[in-house]
Amino acid sequence: MLLASLLIASFVIFAAVYLAPGNAISALSGGRALPASSVRVLEARYHLNEPFLAQYWYWLTNALHGNLGISIILRENVSTLIASRIWTTAGLVLYASVLILLFGIGMGIVAGLRPGFLDTSTLVVTAISAAIPSFVAAIVLILLFSVKLGWFPALGNGTTFLSNVQHFTLPAVALAFSALAIVARVTRASIREESEREHVQTAVSRGIPARQLIRRHILRNAAIPITTIAGITIASLIAVAAVVETAFSLNGLGAYLVQAAESKDLAVVQGISLVLVTAFVVVNMLVDVLYALLDPRVSLGSRAQ
Amino acid sequence: MAGRRGMWTAAAVVAVFALVASGCGRSAGGNAASGNISATKGLVATTPTGTKPVSSITWAVYRDVNSLDPIYAFDYPENTAISLMCESLLRQTPDGSLQPGLATISNPSPTKMVFTLKPGVKFWDGHAVTSADVVYSLDRNTNPALGGFYSQVFNRVTSITATGPTQVTITLKQPDYWLEGELSSMAGVVIEKSYARAQGKNYGTPAGGIMCTGAYEFKSWKPGVGVTAVANPHYWNSKVKPLVQQILIKGAPDVASFTSGMLTGGIQGSYSFGLATLDQLKNSKAVSVYQGPGWSTDAFIVSNFKGALGDLSVRRALSLALNRQAIIDSVYKGAALMPKWMSNPGTFGYGKSVFDAAYSSAPYMTQNLAEAKKLVKQAGATGKTITIGTSSQLANIAAVTGAYQAAAQAIGLKVVLKSVSAQNYINFFTSASARQGIDGFLTVNYGDYADPAALLATLDLPGGSQNYDNFNDPKLSSVLEQARSTANPDKRAALMVQAEKINNQLLPWIPDVQPTSLLLLSSNLTGAVASFAYMFAPWANSLGGKG
Repeated sequence: MLLASLLIASFVIFAAVYLAPGNAISALSGGRALPASSVRVLEARYHLNEPFLAQYWYWLTNALHGNLGISIILRENVSTLIASRIWTTAGLVLYASVLILLFGIGMGIVAGLRPGFLDTSTLVVTAISAAIPSFVAAIVLILLFSVKLGWFPALGNGTTFLSNVQHFTLPAVALAFSALAIVARVTRASIREESEREHVQTAVSRGIPARQLIRRHILRNAAIPITTIAGITIASLIAVAAVVETAFSLNGLGAYLVQAAESKDLAVVQGISLVLVTAFVVVNMLVDVLYALLDPRVSLGSRAQ
Repeated sequence: MAGRRGMWTAAAVVAVFALVASGCGRSAGGNAASGNISATKGLVATTPTGTKPVSSITWAVYRDVNSLDPIYAFDYPENTAISLMCESLLRQTPDGSLQPGLATISNPSPTKMVFTLKPGVKFWDGHAVTSADVVYSLDRNTNPALGGFYSQVFNRVTSITATGPTQVTITLKQPDYWLEGELSSMAGVVIEKSYARAQGKNYGTPAGGIMCTGAYEFKSWKPGVGVTAVANPHYWNSKVKPLVQQILIKGAPDVASFTSGMLTGGIQGSYSFGLATLDQLKNSKAVSVYQGPGWSTDAFIVSNFKGALGDLSVRRALSLALNRQAIIDSVYKGAALMPKWMSNPGTFGYGKSVFDAAYSSAPYMTQNLAEAKKLVKQAGATGKTITIGTSSQLANIAAVTGAYQAAAQAIGLKVVLKSVSAQNYINFFTSASARQGIDGFLTVNYGDYADPAALLATLDLPGGSQNYDNFNDPKLSSVLEQARSTANPDKRAALMVQAEKINNQLLPWIPDVQPTSLLLLSSNLTGAVASFAYMFAPWANSLGGKG
């Protein structure tokens, strides 16, 4: 499953970058007119003069041997380049995920269980924040919390764990902002739905304590749709991270992917894409595992019986 | 000798930040060349020397550094990083004049240049610089297997040989006084032969590192994080004592992020031009903004002499109709000069009195719509169409294109815009098929050293790297070739004055404005070079804290 996704994705991405306008050599020379002999040397070095399928085959066989190739622009191994950036993106997505799970689900549960002022205000707040894209959130957060108030740094990664957390707080909030609202709303809706189900009403009339009622009958049943939406949002964060990384000058994979695609640095685009596709598939797999744990009726690997 | 515009590709998204941020009360600044004494009066080439030690700073460049190998350095980030750490045979000083660098130069005959290494010059690892290192470094430029960017620079060179342990002799086919300038720039950077050989293809990459001679020593390069240089305690010139212990050169492609970094102290310094958030930075107490002499010219490249712009009167009319003050105000926020010639007056690196006298008596290229209309009418060009290659994704390019569109329409010409994506804008410079059907496009262009010839040669001479449609004026070419072979600086300057005047008559390119070089420094730092010389020579040797 994973391997098939990777193979298809790698071919489609390779073809897309190959067909996109632009030229790696002119990106490399910054538009300077290079002598024809130099161009020939560079083209031969990076196999740019060979047909498309040959280039792809060349890349694929190397990748199967664990060699992701060399960046044309930096003349450095792609795996090294990815390794130096992967923790930024992983840390950012993880931090944002924690915010989404903690606050998104938390707000949703509170709003779902307590109709009235709290519920209405949650609805209004999430309606607004769901409509704010990450790059706008980033600009406003920088302006407010780093330029005006000076609480958080405006850019960069930090060196120690504590300074990492400090540097990543604003980016993680910017990244989580709209996704958090969506998770909160779905959580609220499914809690509300479960609360009105017959067996819950029956349990209420039998005088089962509220705490047990919520845990056993409402949350347990509402957990499936919540897991689904949380899984999808977190997987999509991996792609959205590029925008936030650029806004905060973080050295993450997403921002690098955009840069590499612009300069047609094929090997880098391929390498990062593979990492992202893998992460996406893994997150979805984890969600499947969670389904099985949450609902015994779902068993792993079983098709419709 | 080249055309570079990378910096503007990063400026596309800046408008968003400018809208959100306040930034009121603009200072006029910049337009200082009104005096008759010096063309760059009011601009500062250096800032007061720093006095206090500083442990560590972050210096921003508009994108990540791609290479630390001087033969592949062509754009702002690479030049900034290499000139911080590495040194050339000759040295460009902040005012543009040439001085001895690692070596002194003598010319026993017009076709012989002899370089003698200064006593005691050594690499960071302690090894003395030898003539073998120099020959190896210069030869790398022309080695076809390496594909370096500076090979044409050596086209008058017959041989480069070590004529002693510390002496290198360059023999020329014809006298070439432009080569000295090039050897004060990236083409003249000396690296260690044994180190470079051991690294092979990895030299100048994150894996391979570099070995140079400067007062700042290469420490590490983490892709995505930046290049780290540290003060070299054993620098060969004991008079230079670097005060900043560590400098991280970091790419900050997003202008909004860069600006907030400067405002909050996440970034302590940077060189720039055409910066949309300049007013905001000027108004901040945390940042000092200096304007130094620039080497670059913002210009319209005429890439087709067979269309409407093939008519000289139409080119002149278009130049006369252009509202240059609007470009200075809106695109450069005041940090640019009204042009008189093609070349930026910052490039007058020699024969200064000759250049200044001629420049102060030359008229500004101010707008004159009535005269422009008359020219178009006389030429019978009313209603003709010009096609401009542009990119709506590059805010500054798009704004200057707009100024040209307004100018052309005001004098009765029709304008068609051919807009391409930001990444593809580069193709106008590199691919003849991308220029098909285009009459011209915009650039910010500079030469490798402070000499008007460094830019003019690329666009005026037949076969020049930026002569896109076989422009050829025998008189202009002969004046330029003569200048290249003239030893006396004042005589060479006089020839270049003549070349500028002819160029102004013929307008193979139309100069828009002359950007000044912007230095942005955290307000507790001082001592960085403020002129465009930072691109080619060490710029942080006097940088330090304020006393």
